[in-house]
Amino acid sequence: MTALLERGGRRGRRPRGRPLLHTSYKQDMALLDTPGKRRWLSALLVIAVLAPFMLTDDILQLLAVGFVASIGAIGLNIVTGYAGQISLGHAFFLAIGAYTAAAVSGDPDGKVIGFGVTSILVWLPLAGLAAALAGVIVAPLATRLRGLYLAIVTLGLVFLGEHIFKEWDSLTGGPGVGRPSAVPELFGIRLDEAGAYSKEQKLYLLMLVMLVLFAVLARNLMRSRVGRAFAAVRDRDIAAAIIGVDLRRYKLLAFAISSFYAGVAGALMYTVAGYFDPGSFNLLLSVQFIAMILIGGVATVSGSIMGAMFITLLPRITRELPGVLPFISSESKDTPNVFQVETVLYGLLIIIFLILEPRGLFGIWTRIRNYWKAWPFSY
Amino acid sequence: MTEFWQSVARGLGNGSIYALLALGFVIIYKSTRVVSFAQPAFMLAGAVLVTYLAAEVNFFLALVLSALAVALLALGVERVTVRPMVGKPVFVVAIITLGLDIVIRVIVNGFIGLDVRQVGDPWGLQTVNLLGVPVQQRYLAMLLTTALMVAALFAFFRYTRFGLAMRAAAFDQETALAQGVPVGAVFATSWAMAGGLAAVAGVLVGSGASVDQNLWIIALKALPAIILGGLDSLGGAVAGGLAVGLVESLVGTYQADLAPWLGQNFAVVSPYVLMLLVLLMKPYGLFGTPEVERV
Amino acid sequence: MKSRIGAVLTAGVLTVSVSGCGVFRGDEDSSAPGVTKDACPNAVNKNNGCIYLGAISDLTVGPFKTLAVPITEAQKAFWKRVNQQGGIGGYDIDVTKYVRDNKYNPETHNQVYQEIKGKVLALAQTLGSPTTAAIIKDLKSSKIVAAPASWTSAWNFEDVILESGASYCIESMNAIDYAVETFKPKSVMAVHYAGDYGADAAAGAKAGAAAQKLTFNAIETPQGQDNQGRAVDAIVKGKPDLVILTTGPTDAATVIGQAAARGYKGRYIGTSPSWNKGLLKSPAAPAIKAQYLQSAPWAPFQTQTPGHQAMRQALGQVDPNDGYTSGWVWSYPLKAALQKAAANKELTRDGLLKAVKQITQVDYEGMMPTGSGNFAGDAGTGAVRTSLIAKPDDKEQTGVKVIKEAFTGPTAKAYTLDAPCFGKL
Repeated sequence: MTALLERGGRRGRRPRGRPLLHTSYKQDMALLDTPGKRRWLSALLVIAVLAPFMLTDDILQLLAVGFVASIGAIGLNIVTGYAGQISLGHAFFLAIGAYTAAAVSGDPDGKVIGFGVTSILVWLPLAGLAAALAGVIVAPLATRLRGLYLAIVTLGLVFLGEHIFKEWDSLTGGPGVGRPSAVPELFGIRLDEAGAYSKEQKLYLLMLVMLVLFAVLARNLMRSRVGRAFAAVRDRDIAAAIIGVDLRRYKLLAFAISSFYAGVAGALMYTVAGYFDPGSFNLLLSVQFIAMILIGGVATVSGSIMGAMFITLLPRITRELPGVLPFISSESKDTPNVFQVETVLYGLLIIIFLILEPRGLFGIWTRIRNYWKAWPFSY
Repeated sequence: MTEFWQSVARGLGNGSIYALLALGFVIIYKSTRVVSFAQPAFMLAGAVLVTYLAAEVNFFLALVLSALAVALLALGVERVTVRPMVGKPVFVVAIITLGLDIVIRVIVNGFIGLDVRQVGDPWGLQTVNLLGVPVQQRYLAMLLTTALMVAALFAFFRYTRFGLAMRAAAFDQETALAQGVPVGAVFATSWAMAGGLAAVAGVLVGSGASVDQNLWIIALKALPAIILGGLDSLGGAVAGGLAVGLVESLVGTYQADLAPWLGQNFAVVSPYVLMLLVLLMKPYGLFGTPEVERV
Repeated sequence: MKSRIGAVLTAGVLTVSVSGCGVFRGDEDSSAPGVTKDACPNAVNKNNGCIYLGAISDLTVGPFKTLAVPITEAQKAFWKRVNQQGGIGGYDIDVTKYVRDNKYNPETHNQVYQEIKGKVLALAQTLGSPTTAAIIKDLKSSKIVAAPASWTSAWNFEDVILESGASYCIESMNAIDYAVETFKPKSVMAVHYAGDYGADAAAGAKAGAAAQKLTFNAIETPQGQDNQGRAVDAIVKGKPDLVILTTGPTDAATVIGQAAARGYKGRYIGTSPSWNKGLLKSPAAPAIKAQYLQSAPWAPFQTQTPGHQAMRQALGQVDPNDGYTSGWVWSYPLKAALQKAAANKELTRDGLLKAVKQITQVDYEGMMPTGSGNFAGDAGTGAVRTSLIAKPDDKEQTGVKVIKEAFTGPTAKAYTLDAPCFGKL
């Protein structure tokens, strides 16, 4: 063991033909620790980069929303999955990001507050920081409260936020009226207007790059000292405190980082539609994010992404499903009709899914992987 | 002064509805440690069922029948979707109940039709004079119904064998199981009770008013109530519900004059502000059991 | 074992979804989306081509389901009748294939819009204001014409939106003018929801009150029957002679009933979405019959105009509801635009938008006053300024009886519409 650790300073060599044998600590902690992961990830990335030239615009838009939702889900996973602080307040932080970005990049002569700085390099970090600041203000609650109490208190935050955003007409446009979202402009190119490439293609690529960036950041953070401290706090906060983890500090940090992600996601999310309404940031949005990380897999970055994609694509899938059941009426006055079936399916699929696999998509993935790893001796 | 007392009466009336809903949440929480987001759907189902039954039978009979039917529905739902999840993370179960809420509400909405519906209550909008203050009968009815239900519940938990078993299971599931308490039946009963309570609450909301598909939103008011009272305290749920109702009503009556800068309709979020204030002083609510940490 | 079921399930779902729709680029027909030489599914005229129109409505769990469902059904009946009369320019119109549920959520609305956008020529219905606002930028850039299902004054300012009838704003001005003419109120209070619906009407009421020199104040009230306490307090305390009510039906009944129970005797005039005939059976019914009047952009279901008769005939046996009337009326301008575009031999998105700007009058078959539906001029000249007033009546099919036929009050006539009203409250 000591010998292995001593060699850890240099890049340990793997014995030929034994790719899974780790001979150094560094190898063990590597970002992509198996050749399988490396191969699969590169394949996935190639497909993702080629997709905008293959798929139709509506699918691209949906995927782009899914990517942004993934960033938000990773953020929630940081505070809830890694650090164990259940937060139903995610919608509030998304809102702060969305409104900061929209206000910074908005039209200065418009009906709502706007400062006209359209560069994404300015408003995106600002949106994240504003949300992070809100997270820091909220965090002290988490040092006093646990579990469901914390969950419902953060939910209170969503309701208070909704009230403020509905009342603050000059920023948000007011309920039912809304305002234009942030203007995505990068190096002088407007990404939300069609040019040589359609706006969906451009936005898709932007969101993909953002997702990769923030996913790698999160993955790196979680295998650092901070990440281990988070896990310690989650698993047993008293034990963590005894071994010298400053609870207050790390809970604060978890909320700040998570909120930063939420702010970024909120800022990007609505650029796709170009418009948003203060009524959007409600309990349902928060719960959707919780559902994303539960369905994807708690405390995994890839799980967050899978879950976010699942929840984003699910309505589209359920809209297609009644098509294969032609005996269901498409008249909205009949019961049951396709629209009811579609909505019921949305609920049912979530239920069935979680009953069959409470560890989420990541759990399914692990099982499939293990099955084939041991094949043909799997049972 | 009349205005004040009328506001109080309204607050206590609405508050008793929140209390019934909060009781449902707390009963489920105590036995299964889950916050069930399906309560709004059960509430709507109860109200809609009564709008159909009231055409056939007496209102009170309809109320009882509907509560029983929804209790049965809740029991079935628990058996099929929640029981397999025993021992699984509680938040996974919470999201499952959310899926249930969507499914049940879509189905119930299908039965509402195009017109708003009536529960056919006998008191409507009549008022009685109470010490010189005209008070709507419906608020009294709400308060009285809730008082009766709460008394019955407390008697059940205090004096019956099964009530004792439920308390034991809430206290320590494994030990209770070892003592021969049918924990599965406890889960089922708690869901059934919560369903029945939600149904009654839904009917009370519809009394003196009408039922449409947006009725379910009211159930969310029980969330600050349960936290305020303490998640695992039945008495706390009742106190929390009444407090939420009162605060909301009084803030609605006076805030526009006293503190207009809080914005129109601050009353809607005032329960959450109250909840935050209480939690800053008492992290487990007014009557919740502080968690004992064994190191 | 369980995981494999899950995996198979997911895989199945994904396969179905991918195979179910065109997801690959390059298979769209870019010349005139939504117009095909092939006949419509279940076509009336088998030899006609087909024009596909989309409809995005609130069909399951959203708050406006009870209006949205009859609106959608009436539109299906409307276009079926158009087809039975031979279609338009050699095409039948299909409004059944691309109907989508928005759950009254702007993001969902935008997603389903993107989904059907490439396959439809125009939208026969886009329900709600915040939801439509989420797609209006895209509608404009893609030159897609849409018939709204809401009456906010913002639509007067959008070329691509084919609105019918007076906005909430104008309707409330007319309500106040009517009240001044008949029972001479001195004070007006607007009890309203926030945003495009309530604030639009309240702004109109404010303008009306200012023009008629009445005292005015506005009370914003949230949705939910348990949240109406403050509005009731304000009415009972303020004792206004007239309340302009812009809420949903159940909240309206709560406000009227409870204020009456506490001794308020003044009058209410509610906008059309505040009414539902089920209220006549509610405990608040006596108060509603005594104190409530409804303002409306057009006459109710049972009216005897050629348009109304055609509608009832086309719908057959249905439970009367003014959602049907609205869906039917909202379809006329789009029909006129399609006919114009067909006459111009330009049945494309471009051509349709051009046709819309040439329409100076729409034939509503008597359902709206002559001259309504001018889309050629600017917002001020184009806006319809007539409303009518109805009172609750058990004997009528939708529970209301018209007591004042379509009229334009002096306030509405003189009002300069230079921006959406809701910004002016």
